[in-house]
Amino acid sequence: MNTPLNLTRRHFLGQMTTGLTGVALSRLFMHELTAAPPRQPHFAPKAKQVLQIFCPGAASHMDLWDHKPMLEKFHGTPMPGADKEVTFQGKNGNLMKSPWPFAPAGQSGKMISTMLPHMAKHVDEMAFIHSMTSRTNTHGPGCIYMNSCFTREGFPSAGAWVSYALGSTNENLPTYIAIQDVRGEPPNGKANWSNGFLSAQYQAVSMAAQQPLRNLARPASIKADDEQATRDFLKLINAEHAAAHPGNDELRARMAAYELAAKMQLTAPEVSDLAAEPTHVHELYGTGDSNKLKAAYAKNCLLARRFLEQGVRYVSLYCASRASAVDGLLNWDAHKTLKADYERHCPIFDQPTAALLTDMKQRGMLNDVLVVWCTEFGRMPTHQEGTSGRDHNPDAFTTWMMGAGVKGGVSYGETDDFGRRSVVDVATVYDFYATVLHLLGLNHEKLTYYHNGANRRLTDVHGHVLKNILA
Amino acid sequence: MKSLAIILLASSSALAADPAGMAFFEQKIRPVLVEHCYSCHSGEAKKLKGNLYLDSKAGWEKGGDSGEPVIIPGKPEASLLIRTVQHLEEDMEMPPKKPKLPDAVIADLVTWVKMGAPDPRDGAKVEAKRGDKSWWSLQPLAKQFAHDSIDGFVTTKLAENKLTLNPPAEPRALIRRMTYDVTGLPPTVEEVEIFAKAHQANLGQAIEALVDRLLASPRYGERWGRHWLDVIRFGESNGFERNFVIDDLWPFRDYVIRSINDDKPFNQFITEHLAGDVIGKDNPQVEVGSAFLVAGPYDDVGNQDKVAQANIRAATLDDMITATSGAFLGLTINCARCHNHKFDPIPTEDYYRLRAAFEGITHGRRAIASKEEREAFTTATEPLNRKLKQLEAERDALDQGINARAKAHLAKTKPTRPKVDEFGTDEPFAPAEARYLRFVIHSFTTDYNGKVAPGARGGKLTEFQVWSADEPARNVALASNGTKAEGAKSATAEDFPEAYGPQYCIDGMTGEAWFIGQPAELTLTFAKPERINRITFTNARGERGTDESKVRGATPTEYEVQVSLDGETWQAVATDEGRAAWTPAHGIAKARRTSITEEEAARVAALNKQLAQTKAALNRVPKLPEVWAGTYAQPKEPTFVHKGGDPIKPGEAVVPASLTVLDQVTKPFALKPDADESQRRLALAKWMTSDDNPLTPRVLANRVWQHHFGTGIVDTPSDFGFLGSKPTHPELLDYLASRLVANGWKLKPLHREILLSQTYLQSAAFRPEAAQEDKDARLLWRFPPRRLSAEELRDTMLSAAGKLQLEPMGGPGFRLYKFTQNNVSTYFPLDTHGPETYRRAVYHQNARASVVDVLNDFDLPDIAFAAPKRANTTTPLQALTLLNHSFTLDMAQALATRIQTGDAVTQAYRFTFQRDPTAKEHEASTKLIATHGTESFCRALLNANELLYLE
Repeated sequence: MNTPLNLTRRHFLGQMTTGLTGVALSRLFMHELTAAPPRQPHFAPKAKQVLQIFCPGAASHMDLWDHKPMLEKFHGTPMPGADKEVTFQGKNGNLMKSPWPFAPAGQSGKMISTMLPHMAKHVDEMAFIHSMTSRTNTHGPGCIYMNSCFTREGFPSAGAWVSYALGSTNENLPTYIAIQDVRGEPPNGKANWSNGFLSAQYQAVSMAAQQPLRNLARPASIKADDEQATRDFLKLINAEHAAAHPGNDELRARMAAYELAAKMQLTAPEVSDLAAEPTHVHELYGTGDSNKLKAAYAKNCLLARRFLEQGVRYVSLYCASRASAVDGLLNWDAHKTLKADYERHCPIFDQPTAALLTDMKQRGMLNDVLVVWCTEFGRMPTHQEGTSGRDHNPDAFTTWMMGAGVKGGVSYGETDDFGRRSVVDVATVYDFYATVLHLLGLNHEKLTYYHNGANRRLTDVHGHVLKNILA
Repeated sequence: MKSLAIILLASSSALAADPAGMAFFEQKIRPVLVEHCYSCHSGEAKKLKGNLYLDSKAGWEKGGDSGEPVIIPGKPEASLLIRTVQHLEEDMEMPPKKPKLPDAVIADLVTWVKMGAPDPRDGAKVEAKRGDKSWWSLQPLAKQFAHDSIDGFVTTKLAENKLTLNPPAEPRALIRRMTYDVTGLPPTVEEVEIFAKAHQANLGQAIEALVDRLLASPRYGERWGRHWLDVIRFGESNGFERNFVIDDLWPFRDYVIRSINDDKPFNQFITEHLAGDVIGKDNPQVEVGSAFLVAGPYDDVGNQDKVAQANIRAATLDDMITATSGAFLGLTINCARCHNHKFDPIPTEDYYRLRAAFEGITHGRRAIASKEEREAFTTATEPLNRKLKQLEAERDALDQGINARAKAHLAKTKPTRPKVDEFGTDEPFAPAEARYLRFVIHSFTTDYNGKVAPGARGGKLTEFQVWSADEPARNVALASNGTKAEGAKSATAEDFPEAYGPQYCIDGMTGEAWFIGQPAELTLTFAKPERINRITFTNARGERGTDESKVRGATPTEYEVQVSLDGETWQAVATDEGRAAWTPAHGIAKARRTSITEEEAARVAALNKQLAQTKAALNRVPKLPEVWAGTYAQPKEPTFVHKGGDPIKPGEAVVPASLTVLDQVTKPFALKPDADESQRRLALAKWMTSDDNPLTPRVLANRVWQHHFGTGIVDTPSDFGFLGSKPTHPELLDYLASRLVANGWKLKPLHREILLSQTYLQSAAFRPEAAQEDKDARLLWRFPPRRLSAEELRDTMLSAAGKLQLEPMGGPGFRLYKFTQNNVSTYFPLDTHGPETYRRAVYHQNARASVVDVLNDFDLPDIAFAAPKRANTTTPLQALTLLNHSFTLDMAQALATRIQTGDAVTQAYRFTFQRDPTAKEHEASTKLIATHGTESFCRALLNANELLYLE
C-alpha cells in the first residue's frame, strides 16, 4: 500500500472485487474522511487544476472559431450533396455565411470572429481542436456527453473523476465547484457535475456569485455564542460516544467532518468576497457593466479565479443556461435568429472570459491551471428552413485548451469546406478527456472504478491523447 | 493481487500419437501464428485482443470473447479462426488492417484444421479472464446442505478462520437495531423498556414476539419497499433534457409497499412487474405492477433526425433490459449490447432476445381501472358527448349563413391602406402631446375571430417605436431615453424573470421579442411629455426579405393607439381602420361583426353558453385513474441484433426467448418472431421465476441478507457475474435461496429466520483480534454497525421531534424542491421544509437530477441507474446541512417544545436515543440549556453520532 497510493487503491477498487481483502479495502476507502484528500497522479503532471468554461446550447463553431471562407463564397446556395438534410428540428435551407467577418489575430494570424475582439488577444496561447464530434444531436445528452463521455445520466462527470483521482489541495474548500450562470442551469442541470456512481463526495458543489454555497452560513436566528456552545456540547457527546465504540472509524471521521465544516464556513465566504478585489480588476472583467447578464457572468469569472487561486481542483464555469420557450434566448442555441442571438451572447462572454485568462496569466496561474472551453456540439452551415438560424450539428464542433501543458497558437483537426463535418484528424470527446487526464498526470485507461458489472473509465473504452496540442 | 483462476492443463498425449501432424504444425502453422497472430493473441501481446490466446492449444480451445472454441478440429468451415482469415466474418477480418494472408497460407491452415488441428503446445497456462457456464452463480441451487440453520454455516466459516460469534446484544441495542432494520424507524422509549423487561423474563419469547410485531407493522413495507425501489431504479421524473416531473407513478410505489406488507410471493410480484397487465386484466392492484417497465429515465425530446430516433429508442429499451436483468437475475446483460459480454457467457443475441420481449412498450400514461369503473365512465360521458356534437352542428349551420353575408359585405368594401407589415408597420396620426402611449391589440395574424385570444396564440412584437413630431424625427420610445414599457406576457421563466418581457420592444434591437399576454396592451411611459405623430411596430427579427416564417410570432392586425398626458384620460389617435385584411378569413371575421343581426348574435351566444356548459359537465365526470405505466403495441418487425450496438446496422433476427446463459439449468423457451406482445413478457416472467432458475432466488435472498447485515453475501447485489464479488458464504446463500423457494417465495419467513439467528442477535462489540482477521466483519464475528440511511435519518429527526405523520400512507408524494418548467425542468431545493413534508421519506417524490437537502447529502442516490447498494459517505457538507438547514432548526424547536414539561434533559435523551442520560451528560446538558437555551441543546442532539449510528 505504498507509493503511489492512488494506483494501488485504484487497483483495488477497480480490479479486486473478489475475495475479502478487496471488498474490505474498497469499503475502507469509501469511508475516507473529508471531501477528498490529496493523492498522487500516475506520472508527473503538467497541470494540477482545471478550469472548464462551458457555453451550453451548442455554440456555433463557424460563427466563433472555425473560419469558413467557402461559406461566404457559396452563401445562399444549396450545400453540395446534402440538399434539404433533415436534422434535429427538421429541414435545412441553403448555406448561410456567418453574419460577421473573421479577422486574423495574434502572431499566429489565427482567423477568429470579429464578435470576439477580446478573446482574439489570446489566440497565440490557445490550442483549438476544430474536428470535435459528438454522439448525439440533443442538448441534454450532448452536455452530459461533453462532461462525462456518456450520453445518458448516471456517469461521473470529468470533474468528479479528477476529484476522485487527485483529491483536493485545500481541504477548507470543496474539491470541485460548478458555477452556474445567472440565467439558470445548463441542459440536464445537475447531471453535468454529478458524481454518477462515484461516491457523493466527488460531485461538484454548485455555487455562484449570485448564489452562495447552500447551508454554509450559520442561520441568522442563531447567535455566535449559541453556535459555539452547541458545537462544544456536540463535540463532547460525540467524543464520549466514540470512546464507548472503539473500532468504528466512521464516528471519528464524522467528528472531523464537523471540524472541516467549520473551517469551510470561514474560508468559503472569504474566497467568495469579490469586494476584496481592487477596482481595476473589476473593470478588467466588467463586473459593473450595464449589461446585467454580462456583469453577472463577469463576477462568476472572477469567482472562478479566486477559487482556483485557493487550490480548488476543478472549476466548471457556465456561460448561459438551458433551453427556453425561445431557442437561443437563454443559451447559444441559435436555431432561428442567429445574428440577434449571438449579438446578445458574444458580448456577455467575450470580455469577462478574456479578462479571466489575462488575469490568471498575469498571476502565473496558467502554469498550474489547464483551461478548457467546451460546448456540446456544433451547428449546421445551412440555415434552418424558414429561419435565419442554424440547427444542431453533432458531426463537427470546436473546443480549445490553453494553459498548463498546452501548446499555444495551434489548430488541431479540420472540418470540411463548410464546417458540416470534421474530416481531418477527427477528434472525440474521449480524446479530449484522454488529453485532459494526461495533462493532469493520469493515464485515462488506468483510472477505473467498478460499477454494476464493468470497470468504468471516464473515456469509456476509447480515447487517444491529442499529442499535437501538448507543449 | 487479483486471484485469477489459473487453469493448468493436463499434459496431452497428442505429441506421441500423431508425429506427422506435429511436423505439419511445426513447419507450416507455428511460424504463421507467431508472425501474424501472436502480437495480439499471446502472453507476449502488448494488449491482448478479444481475450483470445493463440499461443497454446488451450487458448484456442477456450476461445475469446465469443466464449466458443475458435477452432473446431476437423471442421474448418465452422472454425472462427479460419473464417476470419478467409474474411468471411464482417468486421473481424484477420489479421486486422493488413492484406489478406496468401492463399497458400490459408490453405495450410485449413488443412491443419481438417487434420484435427494437432497442436503440441500444451501444458501452458491460460488465465481465465472471464467466466463461462461453469461460473458459480449459473449452477443449479444446491439441494443438500451441511447445516440446517443459518448459524451453522456462519459459525463453521468463522471457526475456519479461528473466529467466533460475539455474545448476544443487550436489549436496548437489539430492539433499536431490529426496529430500524425492519421498519426504518426508531422504537419508542416505552417499547425499549417493555422489551428489556420481557427480555429478562423470557429471552426467546421476547425476541420472537418482537420480530412478529415488527414484521406485522405497516412500517415494514415502507422500509423494505424503499429497498426494492432502489433496486428497480424507480424515479418520478423522466430524466434527460426535459426531465419533467411524473405525477402519476406514485400508485406503483404504493403497490410495492402494499405488496411487501402483504408478503406477496416474489415470483408473483416479479411476474406482475413484467406482465401485470396480462395476468391482472381488470384488476388495477395487479396491473399497476407493470409500471416497473417504464419507471426508468427516457429521452422524450422531439428529434427529427431518423438515426437519432433509432438511437433514442434503443436507449429507451436498454433501460428496461438493464433494469430487468440487474434486478431479477443479477446479470449485466446490458454489457452484451454491442458485442458478446466480455466477462460472462452472455452472447449479444441474449440481449436482443430480451429486447424482443420489450419491443412493444412505449413510455406514457394509461388508464388503469376495473371493468366496473370503465363501464361507469362510458355511461356517464356518452350522452354528454352526443349533446356536444349536436350543439356544434347547430352552431356551424348558423355560422354558415352569417359568414355568407359577411363575405358579400367584404366584397363591397375596398381597403384604403395596405395591410400590416411584419417588418414594420407605420401608423401616422395628427401630432399629439403625450406622456403615456397605449397600444391596444384586438387581433393578430393568427387570430381572426375578432376576439383577442389568450397570449398562448403567440402574439409577439420585437420592436415598438414612437416618433417625435419635430424634425428630424426621434424614437422617443427607446428605453435608453428613459421610457418604461409595461404589458402582460404570455410566457415566463421563473429563474430568468426578464425573459419575454415588454422591455424588449424598446431596446432598439429586433432580436428579442415581447410575448404578448392578456390583456394585449403595451403601455409606454415617456420620461417627459413628448409631441408625437407616428408609431412603428415590428415583429421581424432579421432584415426585410429573410424568411423567418417559422420563427415569427403572430403580428397585431387590429389595434388602437391611445395617448394620455396624465395616465387617466386617454385619447384614441389612430386605429387600423382602412387597412387591407391580413387574410380573407381576417376580413370575413371583421365583416362578420357588422353583418351579424342582433337575433343571430343572441343565438350564437346561447349556443356557446350551452357548449361551454356541456364541456364543463364532461370535465366534471371523474377521469379514469391514469398511471405512468406505459402503453403497448404489437411490434411490426422482428427484433434484430444491432451490430456493434448500432441500431442502423441490423444483424440476424432473434425471437423472444429465454437467455442461453442459463440454458443448461433452466428449461428454455422460444416464441415465434411475431408472438403476441403481452405473451412475450409473460413468458419471460415465467422463465425468470421458474423453480429451476437458480439466479432469481439467489439474487433475491442475497438482497434480503444485504439489508439485514449491511452487506450481501455477494457484495455486488445486482452483478453475480465474473466482475462481481464472489459469495463469502456460497452454501449459506444457496440455503437461503432454497428456503425462499420452499416458503413459496415469501420474504417474511426468511426475515424471521434471519432475525432469530444467533448471528443476527449477537452484539456489535469490537474485538481488535477479530478485526485483525476480518476488519469489516464480512464473516460476521460481530453484528456490523451501520449509519442510518438518508430516509431513516430524516424520519428519525421527525420522530424525535414528535412531528412524523404516518398518514396518509401513500398517495401523491411530497416535494423538497420547487419544480419549474419552461421547456425544460428545473428543481430548486427548498430552504424550508413545511409541515406538509413531515411524512416518511419514502413518500418523497424523487425526481432525477434533483438535489435536495438532507436526503441527497446522506447518499440518497440519483436514480439514473438502479442503486442496489447505497454509498455511505462522511463529508463536511453533511455537517453543514445538518447544522444549518432550517429543517434541523424546526425539528430542534419542536423537540424543545416537546420536552417543556418534566425533566427536559431526560426527556430529550429518551426521545432521541431511547435511553436516560448519564449523570455527566445530564450535567453538561443542563448547563447548556441554562446558558444557551433548550434549542441549542436540541440542535446538538439532532447532530449527534449516537442518533446516526446503530450497533
